[in-house]
Amino acid sequence: MTRHSLSLLLRNEPGALARIVVLFSSRGVDVESLSLAPAERGDLSRLDVVVELQPGRTIVQLIKQLGRVVDVKSVVDRTHDEAIELGA
Amino acid sequence: MDTTGAGALIKALEDVGCEVIFGMPGGAILPAYDPLFDSKIRHVLVRHEQGAGHAAQGYAQATGRVGVCMATSGPGATNLVTPLADAYMDSVPIVAITGQVARSVIGTDAFQEADIRSITLPITKHSFQVHDPADIPRVIAEAFLLASTGRPGPVLVDLPKDVLATATTYTPPKLATPSRPVLSPVQIRNAAQLIGSSKRPVFYIGGGVIRSGAAQELHKLAEKTGIPVVTTLMARGAFPDSHPLHLGMPGMHGTVPAVAALQRADLLIALGTRFDDRVTGLLPEFAPHAAVIHADIDPAEISKNRKADVGIVGDCRDVMAALSAVITRKTDLTDWWNYLGGLRATYPLGYDWPADGMLAPQYVIERLSRLAGPEAIYTAGVGQHQMWAAQYVKYERPGSFINSGGAGTMGFAVPAAMGAQAGAPDRTVWAIDGDGCFQMTNQELATCAAEGIPIKVAIINNGNLGMVRQWQTLFYEGRYSNTRLGTHQRHPDFVKLADALGCVGLRCDSQSEVDGTILEAMAVHDRPVVVDFVVGQDAQVWPMVAAGTGNDEVMAARGIRPLFDEEE
Ligand SMILES: Cc1ncc(C[n+]2csc(CCOP(=O)(O)OP(=O)(O)O)c2C)c(N)n1
Ligand SMILES: [Mg+2]
Repeated sequence: MTRHSLSLLLRNEPGALARIVVLFSSRGVDVESLSLAPAERGDLSRLDVVVELQPGRTIVQLIKQLGRVVDVKSVVDRTHDEAIELGA
Repeated sequence: MDTTGAGALIKALEDVGCEVIFGMPGGAILPAYDPLFDSKIRHVLVRHEQGAGHAAQGYAQATGRVGVCMATSGPGATNLVTPLADAYMDSVPIVAITGQVARSVIGTDAFQEADIRSITLPITKHSFQVHDPADIPRVIAEAFLLASTGRPGPVLVDLPKDVLATATTYTPPKLATPSRPVLSPVQIRNAAQLIGSSKRPVFYIGGGVIRSGAAQELHKLAEKTGIPVVTTLMARGAFPDSHPLHLGMPGMHGTVPAVAALQRADLLIALGTRFDDRVTGLLPEFAPHAAVIHADIDPAEISKNRKADVGIVGDCRDVMAALSAVITRKTDLTDWWNYLGGLRATYPLGYDWPADGMLAPQYVIERLSRLAGPEAIYTAGVGQHQMWAAQYVKYERPGSFINSGGAGTMGFAVPAAMGAQAGAPDRTVWAIDGDGCFQMTNQELATCAAEGIPIKVAIINNGNLGMVRQWQTLFYEGRYSNTRLGTHQRHPDFVKLADALGCVGLRCDSQSEVDGTILEAMAVHDRPVVVDFVVGQDAQVWPMVAAGTGNDEVMAARGIRPLFDEEE
């Protein structure tokens, strides 16, 4: 298992969050924590999530799968940022 | 224009070019059926919504356009689940329109309420639930665009009944022009370099080549390079079977030379394909010596199952055109072709006649292919007959073989043929079906008879769930638990059933009658025809890579492992 921290911008459309959560469960991604908050732009929300991947699955693959969800504006891998924060 | 949500729905469907809807009315979707009554859009009233969904898939694959199906809320909508899953797996562009209970009662377990959006989340590319009738034209246009662009797939539009009934003003949807990914010139150059320096390259062609309409580009590129081509189950027809560069289908039931080409290659040029386990066999043992160029419109497919050395995100047509433009010379592939040509000569597709004197199913399909020809459209169910349809029909053009690859949905053949025939009325459409599969969806033959959709069905009646029986023979010591159907004992009598459904029913159980029966079926134009081909129950699909083994263990026939044996 590897641990990753992702930050997504979602369109505020009904079902957008559900689609992300279902993607995690159907692709066997473990969710450790998840938080949703309004983004600066009113029509977007920011989803911060920490996930654990099964052996053999890559974060790049997950990011691409998230990227094809129509209501996802962007996905950023923050795993590294967090490591720095923790280390500080 | 003043109208209602329902009126806007039908007008919008007309404006985006929808010509046929497969569906069934019911309470929640009823408002939509009223303006549909006056529309130029044809509605085909199915007997089961699953049939509507698969018909939309068949229509889409025969025409290259978006297929549309429609159902009411609750059970109508849930009956679409299987076709949506199927379309998702095989990247088929369909739009499913479902009625929903009124906005005020959503979430109250109202009569015929099912949260179809949530149910279908993992099996739709996208979905909408419309709450303002003014949004309907935009949503329909978006649904069509999403279904048909990028990696195609199913899109669901859920419409609460009161939204359909509410007055609104129709504003024609703006039809966006689809954009295609811009190719990376660096990756194209890297790919061309790999191709130029490889000694044992192979084009590993998937269904994406058919979806992108790239068969011509493939033809050009293959002839320019002289590189062997294999076409997966979803790509049969993307490259002519008669072409000398074509080695046939790879995978679990692929030809020995096609499997060998992948296993012994030093370069896979994978186009619009997703390294499905039915092609790769045991992944760590797949194509062990090959570098990989992988081009796909969906970035998430690249390096998903097998790491690509060069990944190209793009439409297959653009990718092949770009490669053709930069590749200038043919590399010398003599040794490679000598090896593959040897395998092709030693291990052609072949079959034995059943010991009990019954018909060989492969022979029936071979003759069907010969007599109906490459201009016909063939659909298949799932099982042995599907694999024989992939192996023994000779395909020469894209869109001529329509089957359920990723999901493997039994019952696909008849409704898919209905949809294909509705979209291509001038072509002969043959559903090659199993006696098990046929019993899942044959009710749509009543639809075909009533609607004047004269499909032809060849039931490969082996009396059994043949594919499962084959596995029981090979892996369960011949313990035939629950695979006998009783269809050889006429439970049911397919000829009588055909007759009852308003079709012509024929039966054939001997070699000498096969051609005559097929020709008799082909002479019928005013009604659907069902032919009950009674064949032996012990015929098996070969070659075979047993599930869970590596492709090197491909067996040309039981116990014969050409690649395994050549190692030492
Ligand atoms: C809906 C569904 N249920 C079960 C299966 C599992 N299955 C795969 S092939 C097969 C047998 C199909 O029998 P038949 O239609 O007679 O085809 P045959 O293999 O005999 O040619 C079964 C049960 C499936 N693929 N789809
Ligand atoms: Mg059977």
